[in-house]
Amino acid sequence: MTTTTMGESEGTWSVSTRVIVYAAIGAALYAAAGYFSFFAQIPGTEGVYLRPAYGILTFFGFAFGPVVGFVTGLVGNALADTLTGSGPVTSWWWSVANGLAGLLAGVFGARWISGGSSSLRAVVSVTAAVLATAIGFLFIWIELVIQPELGAQTILWAEYVPTVVSNGVFAAILTPILVLAWDPVSEQLGR
Amino acid sequence: MRASFQYLGRGSWLAARDPRVTLLAAVAFVVGAIQLRDARQLLVALILALLYYALAGIPFRRVRFQWIYLTITIVLIAGINTIITGGRAGGFATADLHVLFRLPLLQAPITAEAISLSASQTLRFLAFVAVSLPVAYAMAPGDFAVAMRRLGLPDRAAFTLDLTIRFLPTLVNEFAETIDAQRVRGWDPLAHGGGPVTRIRRIAPIFVPVIIGSIAGAEDTIDAMDLRGFGVGRRTWLRELRFRPMDWLLLGLFLAFLVLATYLNLSGNSRHYLLPFLVGG
Repeated sequence: MTTTTMGESEGTWSVSTRVIVYAAIGAALYAAAGYFSFFAQIPGTEGVYLRPAYGILTFFGFAFGPVVGFVTGLVGNALADTLTGSGPVTSWWWSVANGLAGLLAGVFGARWISGGSSSLRAVVSVTAAVLATAIGFLFIWIELVIQPELGAQTILWAEYVPTVVSNGVFAAILTPILVLAWDPVSEQLGR
Repeated sequence: MRASFQYLGRGSWLAARDPRVTLLAAVAFVVGAIQLRDARQLLVALILALLYYALAGIPFRRVRFQWIYLTITIVLIAGINTIITGGRAGGFATADLHVLFRLPLLQAPITAEAISLSASQTLRFLAFVAVSLPVAYAMAPGDFAVAMRRLGLPDRAAFTLDLTIRFLPTLVNEFAETIDAQRVRGWDPLAHGGGPVTRIRRIAPIFVPVIIGSIAGAEDTIDAMDLRGFGVGRRTWLRELRFRPMDWLLLGLFLAFLVLATYLNLSGNSRHYLLPFLVGG
Protein backbone atom coordinates (compact mmCIF):
# COMPACT_ATOMS: atom_id res chain seq x y z
CA MET A 1 0.00 0.00 0.00
CA THR A 2 1.27 3.43 -0.82
CA THR A 3 0.96 5.99 1.88
CA THR A 4 -0.48 9.25 0.75
CA THR A 5 -1.76 9.64 4.30
CA MET A 6 0.09 9.30 7.58
CA GLY A 7 0.80 5.76 8.64
CA GLU A 8 -1.79 4.38 11.01
CA SER A 9 0.85 3.45 13.55
CA GLU A 10 1.59 7.15 14.03
CA GLY A 11 -2.07 8.02 14.61
CA THR A 12 -4.05 10.80 13.00
CA TRP A 13 -3.50 13.29 15.83
CA SER A 14 -0.04 12.29 17.09
CA VAL A 15 2.74 14.87 16.95
CA SER A 16 5.79 12.86 15.96
CA THR A 17 9.10 14.19 14.65
CA ARG A 18 7.81 13.55 11.14
CA VAL A 19 4.66 15.59 11.77
CA ILE A 20 6.72 18.49 13.17
CA VAL A 21 9.06 18.57 10.18
CA TYR A 22 6.30 18.16 7.59
CA ALA A 23 4.26 20.88 9.31
CA ALA A 24 7.24 23.24 9.32
CA ILE A 25 7.98 22.56 5.65
CA GLY A 26 4.30 22.90 4.74
CA ALA A 27 4.00 26.25 6.51
CA ALA A 28 7.24 27.55 4.99
CA LEU A 29 6.24 26.37 1.50
CA TYR A 30 2.76 27.87 1.82
CA ALA A 31 4.24 31.20 2.90
CA ALA A 32 6.98 31.19 0.25
CA ALA A 33 4.68 30.08 -2.59
CA GLY A 34 2.05 32.56 -1.44
CA TYR A 35 4.66 35.26 -1.72
CA PHE A 36 5.43 34.28 -5.32
CA SER A 37 1.94 33.55 -6.52
CA PHE A 38 -0.33 36.34 -5.35
CA PHE A 39 -1.98 36.95 -8.68
CA ALA A 40 -4.39 39.80 -8.17
CA GLN A 41 -7.22 40.95 -6.02
CA ILE A 42 -10.60 39.80 -7.24
CA PRO A 43 -12.45 42.95 -8.33
CA GLY A 44 -15.34 43.93 -6.08
CA THR A 45 -14.26 41.78 -3.14
CA GLU A 46 -13.07 42.68 0.35
CA GLY A 47 -9.37 42.12 -0.28
CA VAL A 48 -9.77 38.54 -1.54
CA TYR A 49 -6.77 37.48 -3.64
CA LEU A 50 -6.35 34.77 -6.23
CA ARG A 51 -3.78 32.55 -4.58
CA PRO A 52 -2.90 29.35 -6.43
CA ALA A 53 -0.53 28.35 -3.62
CA TYR A 54 -3.66 27.47 -1.66
CA GLY A 55 -3.46 23.98 -3.19
CA ILE A 56 -0.32 23.38 -1.12
CA LEU A 57 -2.35 23.73 2.07
CA THR A 58 -5.00 21.19 1.11
CA PHE A 59 -2.34 18.80 -0.19
CA PHE A 60 -0.34 18.88 3.06
CA GLY A 61 -3.50 18.37 5.10
CA PHE A 62 -4.75 15.56 2.90
CA ALA A 63 -1.41 13.79 2.59
CA PHE A 64 0.07 14.22 6.06
CA GLY A 65 -2.87 14.62 8.42
CA PRO A 66 -4.88 17.27 10.27
CA VAL A 67 -2.09 18.49 12.56
CA VAL A 68 0.19 19.18 9.60
CA GLY A 69 -2.72 20.75 7.70
CA PHE A 70 -3.65 23.05 10.57
CA VAL A 71 -0.08 24.29 11.16
CA THR A 72 0.48 24.72 7.43
CA GLY A 73 -2.57 26.94 7.13
CA LEU A 74 -2.29 28.89 10.38
CA VAL A 75 1.44 29.56 10.44
CA GLY A 76 1.88 29.63 6.65
CA ASN A 77 -0.79 32.28 6.15
CA ALA A 78 0.49 34.38 9.06
CA LEU A 79 4.02 34.23 7.63
CA ALA A 80 2.78 35.05 4.13
CA ASP A 81 1.02 38.10 5.57
CA THR A 82 4.26 39.04 7.30
CA LEU A 83 6.28 38.66 4.09
CA THR A 84 3.80 40.69 2.07
CA GLY A 85 3.89 43.46 4.64
CA SER A 86 0.65 43.47 6.63
CA GLY A 87 1.98 41.67 9.69
CA PRO A 88 0.83 38.44 11.31
CA VAL A 89 -1.87 39.86 13.58
CA THR A 90 -3.73 42.29 11.30
CA SER A 91 -6.03 39.64 9.77
CA TRP A 92 -5.52 36.78 12.21
CA TRP A 93 -8.95 35.28 11.59
CA TRP A 94 -8.01 34.53 7.98
CA SER A 95 -5.00 32.57 9.26
CA VAL A 96 -7.26 30.57 11.58
CA ALA A 97 -9.64 29.90 8.67
CA ASN A 98 -6.72 28.64 6.58
CA GLY A 99 -5.65 26.42 9.48
CA LEU A 100 -9.13 24.95 9.82
CA ALA A 101 -9.29 24.23 6.09
CA GLY A 102 -5.98 22.36 6.30
CA LEU A 103 -7.12 20.50 9.40
CA LEU A 104 -10.36 19.40 7.73
CA ALA A 105 -8.52 18.28 4.58
CA GLY A 106 -6.46 16.10 6.91
CA VAL A 107 -9.50 14.74 8.73
CA PHE A 108 -11.21 13.86 5.45
CA GLY A 109 -7.98 12.38 4.06
CA ALA A 110 -7.49 10.21 7.14
CA ARG A 111 -11.11 9.02 7.15
CA TRP A 112 -11.66 8.43 3.47
CA ILE A 113 -8.37 6.88 2.36
CA SER A 114 -7.39 3.37 3.34
CA GLY A 115 -5.85 2.08 0.13
CA GLY A 116 -6.73 2.06 -3.53
CA SER A 117 -4.92 3.43 -6.53
CA SER A 118 -3.21 6.80 -6.87
CA SER A 119 -5.91 7.90 -9.29
CA LEU A 120 -8.63 7.14 -6.78
CA ARG A 121 -6.78 9.06 -4.09
CA ALA A 122 -6.36 11.99 -6.46
CA VAL A 123 -10.10 12.05 -7.11
CA VAL A 124 -10.90 11.78 -3.40
CA SER A 125 -8.40 14.57 -2.67
CA VAL A 126 -10.40 16.94 -4.87
CA THR A 127 -13.58 16.31 -2.88
CA ALA A 128 -11.73 16.60 0.44
CA ALA A 129 -10.00 19.83 -0.60
CA VAL A 130 -13.15 21.55 -1.83
CA LEU A 131 -15.23 20.46 1.16
CA ALA A 132 -12.50 21.47 3.63
CA THR A 133 -12.31 24.88 1.97
CA ALA A 134 -16.07 25.45 2.10
CA ILE A 135 -16.29 24.46 5.77
CA GLY A 136 -12.99 25.86 7.05
CA PHE A 137 -13.59 29.34 5.71
CA LEU A 138 -16.90 29.59 7.55
CA PHE A 139 -14.66 30.88 10.34
CA ILE A 140 -14.38 34.27 8.62
CA TRP A 141 -17.99 34.90 9.69
CA ILE A 142 -16.43 35.84 13.01
CA GLU A 143 -16.08 39.22 11.30
CA LEU A 144 -19.66 39.89 12.33
CA VAL A 145 -18.11 40.34 15.78
CA ILE A 146 -14.67 41.67 14.85
CA GLN A 147 -15.90 44.15 12.25
CA PRO A 148 -19.55 44.84 13.02
CA GLU A 149 -19.52 47.46 10.28
CA LEU A 150 -19.59 44.61 7.78
CA GLY A 151 -23.06 43.35 7.02
CA ALA A 152 -23.76 39.67 6.48
CA GLN A 153 -24.33 40.40 2.78
CA THR A 154 -20.84 41.90 2.49
CA ILE A 155 -19.20 38.95 4.20
CA LEU A 156 -21.14 36.48 2.07
CA TRP A 157 -20.76 38.06 -1.37
CA ALA A 158 -17.53 40.04 -1.04
CA GLU A 159 -15.52 37.60 1.07
CA TYR A 160 -16.82 34.09 1.69
CA VAL A 161 -18.12 33.18 -1.78
CA PRO A 162 -15.15 34.63 -3.77
CA THR A 163 -12.68 33.02 -1.35
CA VAL A 164 -14.29 29.59 -1.41
CA VAL A 165 -14.77 29.64 -5.17
CA SER A 166 -11.24 30.81 -6.04
CA ASN A 167 -9.50 28.69 -3.40
CA GLY A 168 -11.73 25.73 -4.24
CA VAL A 169 -10.76 25.93 -7.92
CA PHE A 170 -7.06 26.19 -7.11
CA ALA A 171 -7.27 23.36 -4.57
CA ALA A 172 -9.23 21.15 -6.96
CA ILE A 173 -6.54 21.54 -9.61
CA LEU A 174 -3.31 21.56 -7.61
CA THR A 175 -4.09 19.03 -4.86
CA PRO A 176 -4.52 15.99 -7.14
CA ILE A 177 -1.46 17.01 -9.18
CA LEU A 178 0.61 16.98 -5.99
CA VAL A 179 -0.98 13.73 -4.76
CA LEU A 180 -0.11 12.02 -8.04
CA ALA A 181 3.44 13.41 -7.90
CA TRP A 182 3.98 12.45 -4.24
CA ASP A 183 2.66 8.87 -4.34
CA PRO A 184 5.57 7.29 -6.26
CA VAL A 185 8.11 9.28 -4.25
CA SER A 186 6.57 8.17 -0.96
CA GLU A 187 6.71 4.56 -2.17
CA GLN A 188 10.38 4.96 -3.01
CA LEU A 189 11.03 6.39 0.43
CA GLY A 190 9.04 3.59 2.05
CA ARG A 191 6.57 6.02 3.62
CA MET B 1 14.47 38.04 -4.64
CA ARG B 2 14.31 39.14 -1.01
CA ALA B 3 11.53 37.47 0.92
CA SER B 4 12.94 36.62 4.29
CA PHE B 5 12.21 38.44 7.53
CA GLN B 6 13.62 41.92 7.72
CA TYR B 7 14.68 43.08 11.16
CA LEU B 8 14.16 46.75 10.31
CA GLY B 9 13.64 47.89 13.88
CA ARG B 10 16.99 46.57 15.09
CA GLY B 11 18.43 48.77 17.81
CA SER B 12 15.16 50.57 18.54
CA TRP B 13 13.62 50.99 21.98
CA LEU B 14 10.95 48.43 21.17
CA ALA B 15 13.45 45.92 19.78
CA ALA B 16 15.21 46.02 23.16
CA ARG B 17 12.03 44.88 24.91
CA ASP B 18 11.33 41.29 25.79
CA PRO B 19 9.78 39.75 22.62
CA ARG B 20 6.90 38.38 24.71
CA VAL B 21 5.83 41.96 25.35
CA THR B 22 5.71 42.74 21.63
CA LEU B 23 3.51 39.70 21.03
CA LEU B 24 1.25 40.25 24.04
CA ALA B 25 0.90 43.96 23.29
CA ALA B 26 -0.35 43.19 19.77
CA VAL B 27 -2.83 40.61 21.04
CA ALA B 28 -4.10 42.84 23.86
CA PHE B 29 -4.51 45.77 21.49
CA VAL B 30 -6.35 43.76 18.83
CA VAL B 31 -8.72 42.23 21.39
CA GLY B 32 -9.34 45.69 22.85
CA ALA B 33 -9.83 47.49 19.53
CA ILE B 34 -12.26 44.80 18.34
CA GLN B 35 -14.58 45.90 21.15
CA LEU B 36 -14.57 49.58 20.19
CA ARG B 37 -17.21 50.90 17.77
CA ASP B 38 -17.14 54.67 18.29
CA ALA B 39 -14.99 56.38 15.63
CA ARG B 40 -13.74 58.94 18.16
CA GLN B 41 -12.47 56.22 20.48
CA LEU B 42 -10.98 54.36 17.54
CA LEU B 43 -9.19 57.54 16.48
CA VAL B 44 -7.59 57.72 19.94
CA ALA B 45 -6.70 54.02 19.66
CA LEU B 46 -5.08 54.66 16.27
CA ILE B 47 -3.02 57.55 17.66
CA LEU B 48 -1.85 55.34 20.54
CA ALA B 49 -1.02 52.56 18.08
CA LEU B 50 0.99 54.95 15.90
CA LEU B 51 2.92 56.21 18.95
CA TYR B 52 3.71 52.60 19.80
CA TYR B 53 4.69 51.97 16.17
CA ALA B 54 7.10 54.92 16.34
CA LEU B 55 8.92 53.19 19.21
CA ALA B 56 9.83 50.38 16.79
CA GLY B 57 12.08 52.74 14.81
CA ILE B 58 11.14 51.19 11.47
CA PRO B 59 12.55 53.42 8.69
CA PHE B 60 9.55 54.75 6.76
CA ARG B 61 11.28 54.55 3.40
CA ARG B 62 11.61 50.77 3.87
CA VAL B 63 7.90 50.26 4.54
CA ARG B 64 6.45 53.12 2.52
CA PHE B 65 5.08 50.73 -0.10
CA GLN B 66 3.39 48.57 2.57
CA TRP B 67 1.71 51.57 4.19
CA ILE B 68 0.46 52.94 0.88
CA TYR B 69 -0.73 49.54 -0.29
CA LEU B 70 -2.45 48.70 3.01
CA THR B 71 -4.09 52.09 3.32
CA ILE B 72 -5.48 51.89 -0.23
CA THR B 73 -6.69 48.34 0.41
CA ILE B 74 -8.37 49.26 3.69
CA VAL B 75 -10.07 52.33 2.20
CA LEU B 76 -11.23 50.25 -0.78
CA ILE B 77 -12.62 47.56 1.51
CA ALA B 78 -14.46 50.17 3.57
CA GLY B 79 -15.71 51.80 0.35
CA ILE B 80 -17.10 48.55 -1.02
CA ASN B 81 -18.76 47.90 2.30
CA THR B 82 -20.31 51.37 2.16
CA ILE B 83 -21.93 50.52 -1.15
CA ILE B 84 -23.08 47.04 -0.17
CA THR B 85 -24.55 47.81 3.26
CA GLY B 86 -25.75 51.33 2.52
CA GLY B 87 -25.26 52.00 6.23
CA ARG B 88 -27.61 49.28 7.46
CA ALA B 89 -25.12 47.45 9.69
CA GLY B 90 -23.75 47.51 13.20
CA GLY B 91 -25.28 50.18 15.40
CA PHE B 92 -27.26 51.68 12.49
CA ALA B 93 -29.03 48.47 11.46
CA THR B 94 -32.43 49.86 12.41
CA ALA B 95 -31.69 53.60 12.23
CA ASP B 96 -33.30 56.12 9.87
CA LEU B 97 -30.67 56.65 7.20
CA HIS B 98 -29.46 60.05 5.94
CA VAL B 99 -28.95 59.70 2.19
CA LEU B 100 -26.24 62.12 1.04
CA PHE B 101 -26.21 61.23 -2.66
CA ARG B 102 -26.52 58.31 -5.05
CA LEU B 103 -23.77 56.77 -7.11
CA PRO B 104 -24.20 57.76 -10.77
CA LEU B 105 -24.42 54.34 -12.42
CA LEU B 106 -25.33 51.94 -9.63
CA GLN B 107 -27.83 54.34 -8.03
CA ALA B 108 -26.65 52.93 -4.70
CA PRO B 109 -27.38 55.37 -1.86
CA ILE B 110 -24.38 56.74 0.01
CA THR B 111 -25.54 57.51 3.52
CA ALA B 112 -24.02 59.37 6.45
CA GLU B 113 -24.35 56.15 8.45
CA ALA B 114 -22.41 54.14 5.86
CA ILE B 115 -19.57 56.68 5.80
CA SER B 116 -19.49 56.73 9.61
CA LEU B 117 -19.26 52.93 9.65
CA SER B 118 -16.48 53.08 7.08
CA ALA B 119 -14.60 55.55 9.26
CA SER B 120 -14.76 53.16 12.23
CA GLN B 121 -13.69 50.23 10.08
CA THR B 122 -10.78 52.13 8.50
CA LEU B 123 -9.50 53.49 11.81
CA ARG B 124 -9.62 50.06 13.47
CA PHE B 125 -7.80 48.33 10.63
CA LEU B 126 -5.09 50.97 10.43
CA ALA B 127 -4.59 50.58 14.19
CA PHE B 128 -4.28 46.79 13.72
CA VAL B 129 -1.59 47.39 11.11
CA ALA B 130 0.30 49.81 13.37
CA VAL B 131 0.59 47.28 16.21
CA SER B 132 1.14 44.32 13.89
CA LEU B 133 4.08 45.69 11.91
CA PRO B 134 6.40 45.83 14.96
CA VAL B 135 5.81 42.09 15.41
CA ALA B 136 7.04 41.59 11.87
CA TYR B 137 9.87 44.12 11.83
CA ALA B 138 10.99 44.87 15.40
CA MET B 139 11.37 41.35 16.73
CA ALA B 140 14.46 39.28 16.00
CA PRO B 141 13.23 36.37 13.80
CA GLY B 142 15.03 33.95 16.07
CA ASP B 143 13.03 35.16 19.07
CA PHE B 144 9.59 34.12 17.81
CA ALA B 145 9.79 30.50 18.89
CA VAL B 146 11.42 31.03 22.27
CA ALA B 147 8.94 33.81 23.05
CA MET B 148 6.02 31.55 22.18
CA ARG B 149 7.52 28.75 24.29
CA ARG B 150 7.90 31.05 27.28
CA LEU B 151 4.31 32.15 26.78
CA GLY B 152 3.20 28.58 27.35
CA LEU B 153 3.22 27.01 23.89
CA PRO B 154 4.33 23.34 24.10
CA ASP B 155 7.93 22.57 23.14
CA ARG B 156 6.99 20.72 19.98
CA ALA B 157 4.76 23.53 18.74
CA ALA B 158 7.42 26.15 19.49
CA PHE B 159 10.04 24.07 17.73
CA THR B 160 7.74 23.71 14.70
CA LEU B 161 7.55 27.50 14.52
CA ASP B 162 11.32 27.77 14.88
CA LEU B 163 11.86 25.22 12.12
CA THR B 164 9.39 27.01 9.82
CA ILE B 165 11.26 30.29 10.19
CA ARG B 166 14.55 28.51 9.47
CA PHE B 167 13.16 26.74 6.39
CA LEU B 168 11.56 29.85 4.89
CA PRO B 169 14.59 31.60 3.33
CA THR B 170 15.86 28.31 1.89
CA LEU B 171 12.53 27.50 0.27
CA VAL B 172 12.10 31.02 -1.07
CA ASN B 173 15.50 30.64 -2.72
CA GLU B 174 14.50 27.26 -4.14
CA PHE B 175 11.36 28.78 -5.65
CA ALA B 176 13.40 31.64 -7.13
CA GLU B 177 16.04 29.28 -8.56
CA THR B 178 13.41 26.97 -10.04
CA ILE B 179 11.60 29.90 -11.65
CA ASP B 180 14.92 31.09 -13.14
CA ALA B 181 15.73 27.58 -14.34
CA GLN B 182 12.37 27.26 -16.10
CA ARG B 183 12.78 30.70 -17.64
CA VAL B 184 16.15 29.66 -19.05
CA ARG B 185 14.26 26.81 -20.74
CA GLY B 186 11.85 29.34 -22.26
CA TRP B 187 9.00 28.78 -19.80
CA ASP B 188 7.74 31.83 -17.94
CA PRO B 189 5.63 30.63 -15.02
CA LEU B 190 4.75 34.14 -13.86
CA ALA B 191 3.66 35.41 -17.28
CA HIS B 192 0.44 37.39 -17.41
CA GLY B 193 -2.59 36.38 -19.43
CA GLY B 194 -4.90 33.41 -19.39
CA GLY B 195 -7.51 32.30 -16.89
CA PRO B 196 -6.93 30.70 -13.49
CA VAL B 197 -6.63 27.19 -14.94
CA THR B 198 -4.04 28.29 -17.50
CA ARG B 199 -2.10 30.10 -14.81
CA ILE B 200 -2.08 27.12 -12.50
CA ARG B 201 -0.92 24.85 -15.30
CA ARG B 202 1.80 27.41 -15.92
CA ILE B 203 3.06 27.34 -12.33
CA ALA B 204 2.76 23.56 -11.84
CA PRO B 205 6.32 23.01 -13.18
CA ILE B 206 7.48 25.29 -10.36
CA PHE B 207 5.37 24.01 -7.50
CA VAL B 208 5.70 20.27 -8.09
CA PRO B 209 9.51 19.94 -8.09
CA VAL B 210 10.03 22.37 -5.20
CA ILE B 211 7.30 20.84 -3.01
CA ILE B 212 8.04 17.19 -3.68
CA GLY B 213 11.80 17.81 -3.44
CA SER B 214 11.36 19.59 -0.10
CA ILE B 215 9.27 16.81 1.39
CA ALA B 216 11.68 14.13 0.20
CA GLY B 217 14.61 16.16 1.52
CA ALA B 218 12.92 16.46 4.90
CA GLU B 219 13.88 12.87 5.61
CA ASP B 220 17.39 14.04 6.47
CA THR B 221 16.05 16.52 9.01
CA ILE B 222 13.73 13.90 10.53
CA ASP B 223 16.58 11.38 10.82
CA ALA B 224 18.89 13.98 12.36
CA MET B 225 16.27 14.94 14.95
CA ASP B 226 15.47 11.33 15.78
CA LEU B 227 19.15 10.43 16.10
CA ARG B 228 19.61 13.27 18.57
CA GLY B 229 16.68 12.01 20.62
CA PHE B 230 14.30 14.85 19.84
CA GLY B 231 11.28 14.82 22.12
CA VAL B 232 12.48 12.24 24.62
CA GLY B 233 13.17 14.77 27.35
CA ARG B 234 12.48 18.33 28.39
CA ARG B 235 13.90 20.75 25.83
CA THR B 236 16.08 23.70 26.80
CA TRP B 237 16.47 26.92 24.80
CA LEU B 238 19.74 28.77 24.45
CA ARG B 239 18.11 32.21 24.49
CA GLU B 240 16.98 33.35 27.93
CA LEU B 241 14.23 35.92 28.30
CA ARG B 242 13.80 38.17 31.29
CA PHE B 243 11.21 40.87 31.95
CA ARG B 244 12.64 44.26 32.88
CA PRO B 245 10.75 47.20 34.48
CA MET B 246 10.11 48.84 31.10
CA ASP B 247 8.66 45.58 29.81
CA TRP B 248 6.21 45.46 32.70
CA LEU B 249 5.33 49.12 32.15
CA LEU B 250 4.61 48.66 28.44
CA LEU B 251 2.62 45.50 29.04
CA GLY B 252 0.69 47.24 31.81
CA LEU B 253 -0.28 50.06 29.46
CA PHE B 254 -1.62 47.66 26.86
CA LEU B 255 -3.50 45.66 29.47
CA ALA B 256 -5.00 48.91 30.76
CA PHE B 257 -6.14 49.67 27.21
CA LEU B 258 -7.71 46.23 26.99
CA VAL B 259 -9.51 46.66 30.32
CA LEU B 260 -10.77 50.12 29.35
CA ALA B 261 -12.00 48.96 25.94
CA THR B 262 -13.76 46.00 27.55
CA TYR B 263 -15.41 48.32 30.08
CA LEU B 264 -16.55 50.70 27.32
CA ASN B 265 -17.99 47.81 25.37
CA LEU B 266 -19.76 46.09 28.26
CA SER B 267 -21.15 49.34 29.64
CA GLY B 268 -22.59 50.29 26.26
CA ASN B 269 -20.35 53.35 25.91
CA SER B 270 -18.81 52.39 22.57
CA ARG B 271 -21.55 52.43 19.99
CA HIS B 272 -21.20 53.43 16.35
CA TYR B 273 -20.96 57.21 16.13
CA LEU B 274 -22.70 59.18 13.43
CA LEU B 275 -20.20 61.77 12.22
CA PRO B 276 -22.09 65.03 12.93
CA PHE B 277 -20.67 67.10 10.08
CA LEU B 278 -22.23 64.68 7.60
CA VAL B 279 -25.74 65.46 8.80
CA GLY B 280 -25.20 69.11 9.58
CA GLY B 281 -25.07 68.52 13.31
